[in-house]
Amino acid sequence: MIRSDIIRGHLDSIILRLIMEKDRYGYEISKEISERTDQRFQIKEATLYAVFQRLEKKELIQSYYGSESKGGKRKYYRITTLGKAYFKETVEEWKEIKDIVDIFMEGFD
Amino acid sequence: MKKLAQHVNELFKEVPESEKKEMVMQEVLQNLEEKVWDLMEQGKEEEDAINKAIVDFGDIGDLKEELGVSEDSSATQARRNKLMNRKLNLGYSIWGSLLIIGLLVFINFYYSPGVIWFVYPTFAVLWWPLSMYYSWLRVKKG
Repeated sequence: MIRSDIIRGHLDSIILRLIMEKDRYGYEISKEISERTDQRFQIKEATLYAVFQRLEKKELIQSYYGSESKGGKRKYYRITTLGKAYFKETVEEWKEIKDIVDIFMEGFD
Repeated sequence: MKKLAQHVNELFKEVPESEKKEMVMQEVLQNLEEKVWDLMEQGKEEEDAINKAIVDFGDIGDLKEELGVSEDSSATQARRNKLMNRKLNLGYSIWGSLLIIGLLVFINFYYSPGVIWFVYPTFAVLWWPLSMYYSWLRVKKG
């Protein structure tokens, strides 16, 4: 399991990426993260909702209520144009960070 | 599922009432319920599934912050309450000691006007508001 404090700074981008693929709701996102990482990283739901609040405040995502499901209406999130632009920027930034960190981390066993 | 609703209410009790809070609580509860159903479909007992969902949920410190409650503001509120309490104690001790001293003065001048003795018990009584004053001052200065 990955230490969550290391990945914390990238949670916004991870969630934006998943919402960019298609509109999703909270539990679906946390399940998707666990599945895609083969359970190596599991996001705490409390953290997930904090990220939703933050992204909505920054107008990077928008929420809407979907159709009725088991426990009531699900709240879905969709990415905004601003969100897409922000994500693109973070991808570029990540490549840069990766290159820099690789300089010091690669080639050491 | 009642346990889940109780847990969510407990988690959000410090967050000031607002429409946003209600919406987030509803969303959290709905997603937790879905997780419980999922876990039950995977073969877990309802009780175990609920406990797992609660444990997995994590600490809502960040979420509270996003909703406008910070650790700082609750500490400030606690300090303010304490200060208010000490102020009330100080006021009570001042009025109480004034009444006692007044009574002593009355008894002194009514029954034994030739001997001024009320000063001695007055010193003893004054310790009460004095200690309350320093107790209030200590909290005020933090």
